[in-house]
Amino acid sequence: MNILVCVKQAPEPEAAIEIDEASRWVRVRGDSLPRMGRFDECALEQALICKEQVPGTTVDAITVGNSAGAAVVRRALGMGADRGMHVLTRDEGYVSAFTTASRIARAVQDRSYDLVLTGVVSDDLGQGLVGPMLAEMLSFVCATSCVSLRVDTQQAIAVVEREMEHGITQCVELALPALVSVQSSANRPRYPSLSNIMRANREELETFACAAFEESSHAEELVRLDHPRRTRSVVFLQGSVEDKAKELLSLLRGRSLLR
Amino acid sequence: MEQTIAVIAEHEGGSIARASYEALGCATEIQRIVPAKIVVVVMGDLAGDVGREIASLTHASVVAVHVHGLHSYDGDAYRSVLADMLLELHAAWICVPGTTQGLDFAPGLAVRLGASCVSAVENVLEQAGRPVFVRPLFNGKIVAEVAASIPTVVLVQPGSFPEELGERERMGSLEERSIAWQPTRSRVLGLKTQEPADAALSEAAVIVAAGRGMGRKEHLEAVQRVAGLFARSAVAGSRPLCDQGWLPYRQQVGQTGASVSPDLYLACGISGAPQHLIGMRGSKFVVAVNTDPEAAIFRHADIGIVEDAETFLSELSHQTEGPSGS
Repeated sequence: MNILVCVKQAPEPEAAIEIDEASRWVRVRGDSLPRMGRFDECALEQALICKEQVPGTTVDAITVGNSAGAAVVRRALGMGADRGMHVLTRDEGYVSAFTTASRIARAVQDRSYDLVLTGVVSDDLGQGLVGPMLAEMLSFVCATSCVSLRVDTQQAIAVVEREMEHGITQCVELALPALVSVQSSANRPRYPSLSNIMRANREELETFACAAFEESSHAEELVRLDHPRRTRSVVFLQGSVEDKAKELLSLLRGRSLLR
Repeated sequence: MEQTIAVIAEHEGGSIARASYEALGCATEIQRIVPAKIVVVVMGDLAGDVGREIASLTHASVVAVHVHGLHSYDGDAYRSVLADMLLELHAAWICVPGTTQGLDFAPGLAVRLGASCVSAVENVLEQAGRPVFVRPLFNGKIVAEVAASIPTVVLVQPGSFPEELGERERMGSLEERSIAWQPTRSRVLGLKTQEPADAALSEAAVIVAAGRGMGRKEHLEAVQRVAGLFARSAVAGSRPLCDQGWLPYRQQVGQTGASVSPDLYLACGISGAPQHLIGMRGSKFVVAVNTDPEAAIFRHADIGIVEDAETFLSELSHQTEGPSGS
């Protein structure tokens, strides 16, 4: 079985982000480094579990982005992916999901994958679009937000549980080839192993030059960035930890919330 | 020339998702900016009943596509039936509830229609006579205003728009259609309720919620102790915390967990990602504790405390339980 996992790096969720007026994008304050998205790691982990369960399975990891993106592919190799692919762009900042999905589809158009896995959303843009768009472009059946995946290569099916609202999951059987976007679950992503890291650092990534992408007729354009609207006007308590605790207790008693 | 805004209704077993009316609310906002008529589309094997209910509650124009054999959600069915329907309607904007279901079928539908697509839309603004869509980035810390070429598929963030009950000037109407459909490459095997949300969460007057900012699983003891200070309280957790196994999923608050509206929500070490906010924005009074003064949670809190959550909670307990506490 051939599996493709789409990965991307993003600032870690706790990183301090500020708007950069000059570039009309953001910059990260402080020294945190970008890392593989949380759900991309889950997708990769799921691929590696499939590889362990089905002999003869290869796992390719692909990213789309500028040269800094190679690091996330090497991370995927470190975790156990077999081959790394990098669609090299010069993009900085906001890129339409349609463009990203198209670039992946174009890169793999002559390959034959049984299963494509993506994270349900990325940590930076959080759109949840690239996976299902890519499925449509590849003409693969698609299931998103999956918390479990079981592949039966004999029957050429994948059985997934899609997580919905209110604690309900929908169990679906998909005919391969399929695209599955992965939601977090009890499968904790593994750490890269030392031998895999060494191999990853030596490995040649397959790099795809990105021809200037023709402007598609259906496009989104970033007009501006802003800070989110508040739904409540916060009052920050001041002073030491002790002062703030005392003040909060007094506030809560005043509101009859504390006995 | 008047354009058409389509709203795709979501329902399960005849029960209409609230997010459908919120998607109608989003469509109404677009209608304030551009002259357009709104058409609600509903599909499935109970489409007629669902369509009738929507038409009566909202006075909207409703097209109900009765799809024989479609008992529960199937992505291929939705893309196939809706693509034809939306092309026929010449829909310029297609408002879809941004639920797990909407996010499943709508992006592929956008590709099929040659449409642009914007997800997690929380607001609609006007720029030069056209709608511009506001959506969160970076875990809710920043918002982007996005213009999109029509047709546009708009995935409407649940909980962001008021439920819209109708166009006042027009009479509602219901048109019924019928179509047969067979799945070819997917088969729904069933639904399962995993861990239903703890009943204690919906009954609690006070919820003390923990996020990854609590640091370590052992630190949850401080959360339990503070919860014990209040009558009718419950402990909850964010999704990432439950993923780490620090609390069971039945105590999760968020888009895929419980929605709560207690008198007091004490968010400890929670960043305030949009998926979490959806679950607790109904709370009457929100106190947030986080080391990051820029954390998104502080835009949705009444009281903010910039401190390490475990340290602060321990201090709260100390002041109430210790010998010097009153």
